[in-house]
Amino acid sequence: MNNIRNRIEYQFAAFARKIYHHRIKTIFLMLIAIGALLSQLPTIEIDTSTEAFLHKTDPALLTYNDFRDQFGRDEVVIVALKPKQVFDVNFLKTLAQLHTELEENVPYIDDITSLVNARNTRGEEDLLIVEDLLENWPETEDQIQATKQRALSNPMYENMLISKDGTFTTIIIQTQSHSSMGVEDDIMDGFEDFEDTIEAPADTERKYLTDQENTQVILAVEKIVKKYRSGDLPIYLAGSPAVVHFLKQAMMSDMQKFMLLAVLTVSILLYIMFRRITGVILPMVIVILSLLSTISLMAISGVPIKVPTEILPSFILAVGVGSSVHILAIFFHHLRKTKSKEESIVYALGHSGLAVLMTNLTTAAGLMSFSNADVAPVAEIGIFAGAGIILAFIYTIVLLPALIAVIPLSDSKTEVLRKNNRIMDNVLESIGRFSTTHPKKILFISFCIIAIAFAGTLSIEFSHYPLKWLPETSEIRVATEKIDKELNGSMSMEILFKTDRENGLYEPELLNRIESAGDDFEKMSFKEMFIGKSWSVTTILKEINQALNGNNANAYTIPQNKPLVAQEFLLFENSGSDDLEDFVDSQFSMARLTLKVPFVDGILYDPIEEEITAYLNKNFHDVDFQITGLVALLAKTFNNTITSMAESYLIAVAIITLMMIILIGRIRIGLLSMIPNLAPIILMLGVIGWFGFPMDLFTMMVASIAIGLAVDDTIHFMHNFRRYYEQSGDPEKAVFETLHSTGRAMLVTSVVLSVGFFIYMFASMQNIVRFGFLTGFTILMALASDYFIAPALMVLVNKKRA
Amino acid sequence: MKGVYRFIGIILLVTFLVPMSSAMADDEKAREIMQKVDDRNDGDNQTSDMIMTLIDKHDKQRIRKLSVFAKDKGEDTLRLMFFLHPADVKDTSFLTWDYDDPDKDDDQWLYLPALRKTKRIASSDKSDSFMGSDLNYSDMTSRTLENYDFFLKKEIKVRGKDAWVIESVPRSKEIIDETGYTKSLIIVQKDIYFVIRAVNWEKTGGYIKYMDVVTLEAIDGIWVGTEMHVAKKKGKQTVHKTILEFKNVKYNQGLEENLFTVRRMEKGL
Repeated sequence: MNNIRNRIEYQFAAFARKIYHHRIKTIFLMLIAIGALLSQLPTIEIDTSTEAFLHKTDPALLTYNDFRDQFGRDEVVIVALKPKQVFDVNFLKTLAQLHTELEENVPYIDDITSLVNARNTRGEEDLLIVEDLLENWPETEDQIQATKQRALSNPMYENMLISKDGTFTTIIIQTQSHSSMGVEDDIMDGFEDFEDTIEAPADTERKYLTDQENTQVILAVEKIVKKYRSGDLPIYLAGSPAVVHFLKQAMMSDMQKFMLLAVLTVSILLYIMFRRITGVILPMVIVILSLLSTISLMAISGVPIKVPTEILPSFILAVGVGSSVHILAIFFHHLRKTKSKEESIVYALGHSGLAVLMTNLTTAAGLMSFSNADVAPVAEIGIFAGAGIILAFIYTIVLLPALIAVIPLSDSKTEVLRKNNRIMDNVLESIGRFSTTHPKKILFISFCIIAIAFAGTLSIEFSHYPLKWLPETSEIRVATEKIDKELNGSMSMEILFKTDRENGLYEPELLNRIESAGDDFEKMSFKEMFIGKSWSVTTILKEINQALNGNNANAYTIPQNKPLVAQEFLLFENSGSDDLEDFVDSQFSMARLTLKVPFVDGILYDPIEEEITAYLNKNFHDVDFQITGLVALLAKTFNNTITSMAESYLIAVAIITLMMIILIGRIRIGLLSMIPNLAPIILMLGVIGWFGFPMDLFTMMVASIAIGLAVDDTIHFMHNFRRYYEQSGDPEKAVFETLHSTGRAMLVTSVVLSVGFFIYMFASMQNIVRFGFLTGFTILMALASDYFIAPALMVLVNKKRA
Repeated sequence: MKGVYRFIGIILLVTFLVPMSSAMADDEKAREIMQKVDDRNDGDNQTSDMIMTLIDKHDKQRIRKLSVFAKDKGEDTLRLMFFLHPADVKDTSFLTWDYDDPDKDDDQWLYLPALRKTKRIASSDKSDSFMGSDLNYSDMTSRTLENYDFFLKKEIKVRGKDAWVIESVPRSKEIIDETGYTKSLIIVQKDIYFVIRAVNWEKTGGYIKYMDVVTLEAIDGIWVGTEMHVAKKKGKQTVHKTILEFKNVKYNQGLEENLFTVRRMEKGL
């Protein structure tokens, strides 16, 4: 084992010397390679949509895609207005004006509905009228009252276009489900594919409305709404397309802020440590190149930036700097003694190359443990952050020696450095003394703390709640909560009934069951989750039936005669409304039941979905059914979060344990070293539990990322301890020497890393704030556990040799 | 003096630009073609069986069969249709009076045998789907030429026959609202002045509709498209399709005007 290790260390030294000699060639080649990579950077895309959290092959997403191919996008933009009086000529005129302005200026609209054009079905003697509610503009007070009467008595409008108490009214914008990009080049080509064949529609993949198109929609809506909004007329903008847009905005501004903050704080820390400009510039150039290369890799692979990707820049910055710091620390130390740049960098790489490689590998392993996650952006972070770390490592060992070779270095202000070091040494010495003299006490106290933390982990609550990622005062969060309350929800859950028979929906018996299912679902609730409204094709049928029967409210029912159902549908199809398309397929074989629900935590959708599934299993055993809709995606993402977490934790622990054993070369010590590795993780989980933080996909990533980082300290500690123990055979002395040498670099890198994460606490997004705090905290705890628990363990298990 | 020049300038602008813009707006040749299409004898007193096949994107088909009677009354068209299939809507019948006058709403009645009731349907625009197909009511009636600008774009061959490609642009927003189309390409077969293909851009949803007359027959010397395919597309993707076939097409059947009444309709075939 030792032999191999020595050989690797020798290889690193030889490598550094080679690079140092071929400095210009190296820099030139690296610049070409990196330049080629970075040229792809501008093609990076952004996607903050709800469905982006699932892999493209996730069954829940495939079902959802089928659904939106058939019925269009179930996500709607809701513009809710609260006038002094809804049924007032002036207000209705304003509403109509806003409606028209939105209709004419907002791109990619599929459908826009408000009281202005709401479907109004009624009979007048032998005439069946299906028209817009305000088709004939009301002028007199009587006409207004008649319109009001019509609107308030229509069950379909309630909580959809007008709140139950009549104070809110809405404009609902449904956007196109598919992207408009890639339209026919030559319009005549459109005839080609149906010239000979009648059946097969082209199978080319259609792209769904892109994030960018979604943003255009929201910006256009916002711009128009702003003009109408006033103290007398509050207007709220909500709906998941808006939430997605605001998440993106928050993410973009946060991301820019963090890039800057991270660069700034890390630079300051580097300067404090090295007291040289080169000590700041060299690591910074390397990590910034690594970061840009990583994002370029994402662009090349067609992986867009998603909400969780936000953590990537600061992560690579903080971790990447660590490698340079370890090498530079040794390099500058040696340089002061030898005054030779070449000898110093060769020595530094030979001394630290292996440890840096190992720490990078464990961090990458911690991240790669995500690569199999069912939550798509988490898997992507795993892959690309892992790749970024490896890139940073390669750039470090290649570019650092080459750059050092070409850059002139001045003498540093050794005085200040020495003073710094003296303070640090004193602190580290007292830590060493304490942990070697009271090992049992330390272990006992640590055990108690871990036990308390462990108890806290039992009360951890899982969550996937994108709305709450936004700050409490966020406009969209306020609007969504308002609309959820006043209009019984802003999201939808969709149930599809598939009879697989043409005209299967002509059966009154089946329609009755769908109707009662909707009614029964409306009674369901779980904590903040409820079903605010349900509607389906039966709603239209009831409307026609009522209109055909003298507008009698008692006739708002499903006709119980099959031919009559068929004929009423036919009548409706010919009455000037295409609305049936929204409820059934053109075969009348598949029906859609829409449930209106509030935007709540993914954890709350689950029990309701189970209850609904049980109900459907019981009552629709003869019909295929599927539950989908955006809400089902949220619920699925939530479930995937939990399973991904369990898996990636196990993978991370297994891989890292194995690596520790290989690195240390002894199974028992390797296993023991996992105690200081895992202690900070349990502590962090305890904090989550005790403080009631939600366990979502961000907090979930903390543990795996932190374990990858925490291990770094342990590796450096064990690596050096073993070396000194073999020399002296005295574990206490070995601990002191370890703390003196590598303990310093551990302190600096841990501080740099934790600061790199603590700056996330300035984020506007709450999930990122918690992520930053927890990761920073865990890194500091990892350092503490290597300063106390690791030495205590080593003193207890290693006998003092003569 | 400056003011005078400006005044003269405006006069010049007005006198030259106004006639120019109206001359630019249309294309003599295209209009002439469209006029000939409009003037073509399209027969009268027609009876036929119509088979409508609706095909969704999953390739599922739904078939409707109707017996159709049509008669011209001046410039107006009277049409009576009886459903033959599917069984649940058999004997349901549909009567329409299409008025040539664009200001007058068409009259439509539907008889529901299950209710033994006839309902008149109030509908003011023609952009709505015709019986759930990809055709709308405006596709079923001829265009009033004055409402459009026509431009001859190019000449092509379709299935070996020479044809003109004419762009048609509605002159007003009202026409766009009524027909549901923002513009169209009309492909006219030269020898018989028959519209054999059309591309229509829908006002909402970004859909484009392709119509193709696949089978063209001369019956009693009158050209009629007996099979027509309509595909509603978005980008390169077909969203929905309709195949319209006419069988047993006969002209000059001496249909009485009183056939096209509610009373007659309720009696059934």
